Amino acid sequence: MKKLLKIVIILAIIGLGAAFIVYKFVYNQPHTNFEKAKAEFSLTAVDFYNEFINNKEAASAKYNGKVVEITSEVSKIESDTNIAYIVFVFSEGVFGDEGIRCDMLPDFIEDVKMLKTGDKVTVKGYCTGYNDTDVIMENCSIIK
Amino acid sequence: MIPMSSWKIVQSSNKLKMRKLIFILVLAVSANYSFSQKYMTKTGYIRFFSSAALENIEAHNRAVMTALDMSSGEFIFKVLIKSYTFEKALMQKHFNENYMESDKFPNSEFKGKIIDIKNVNLKKDGIYQVTAEGDLTIHGVTKRVKVPGTVEVKGGKLITKAKFSVALSDYNIKVPKAVVNNIAENIDIYVDCVLEPSTK
Repeated sequence: MKKLLKIVIILAIIGLGAAFIVYKFVYNQPHTNFEKAKAEFSLTAVDFYNEFINNKEAASAKYNGKVVEITSEVSKIESDTNIAYIVFVFSEGVFGDEGIRCDMLPDFIEDVKMLKTGDKVTVKGYCTGYNDTDVIMENCSIIK
Repeated sequence: MIPMSSWKIVQSSNKLKMRKLIFILVLAVSANYSFSQKYMTKTGYIRFFSSAALENIEAHNRAVMTALDMSSGEFIFKVLIKSYTFEKALMQKHFNENYMESDKFPNSEFKGKIIDIKNVNLKKDGIYQVTAEGDLTIHGVTKRVKVPGTVEVKGGKLITKAKFSVALSDYNIKVPKAVVNNIAENIDIYVDCVLEPSTK
């Protein structure tokens, strides 16, 4: 009887441990740290943009959901108190400028505000796709 | 007979008049352009909320591209599925891989017309009730929907807001039996976009 109790207690502890591990590392797994994430692709911003323009499906399959590093000269900066975008413009559409929009991580907002049009930067971020106007990059950081 | 010198004056004053006329014409045309009444944003906000027995799930997306032509009421509203962020990374993963299949269907779109756009007076700040009617595409399935909302005219900008609900089954989004208590059958969607006059 005592032996059975022991087994039950041990099983319960193992069960709780497993539940805790699942809870912590599966259910509560952390978001990707995009600042530290390694880029799967590194290319010029214009080449990156043109791949979407030339073949939206192929470029989406290749880049959507991936960390990409792009380099170009800044076309414009859009910023507010707690939000900032680096924008690379490559085309004119019905609604104005079209290109790549990089939504910056909070830690980089101040750095972005110091950038000027024409400054050469390398931006790393998470590509979420092309909305027929712009290629969208999120969680972006400045590499150099 | 007009003396030569004064003839020149008449001529130059005519030229001046002509220039004035051209100037006024150019002004009128460019003024017309600025009244082309296209409004847009690339940083529109959309949020959805699922309220089920076991948990509430919420996701945010601030990369909505939307444009509205105030003269016709026509609009386009584009959302990238991978731009939605969740509190929990696992939910975000499941949302993309199991439910929305965002590799296969990267975009959602709402395209149509605000049918009562004439009610909105751009010259008078205020909140106007409107109805948007159009084709809503989610998860590769397109449905004709009617969505009530508001357009607020404020300092030359348009603050558009809408709240509506979509049934997952309408868009062929399947929820496994194991998680029916975690995910609502109807998802509430909130839209909040500040549109500015388009430069084009």
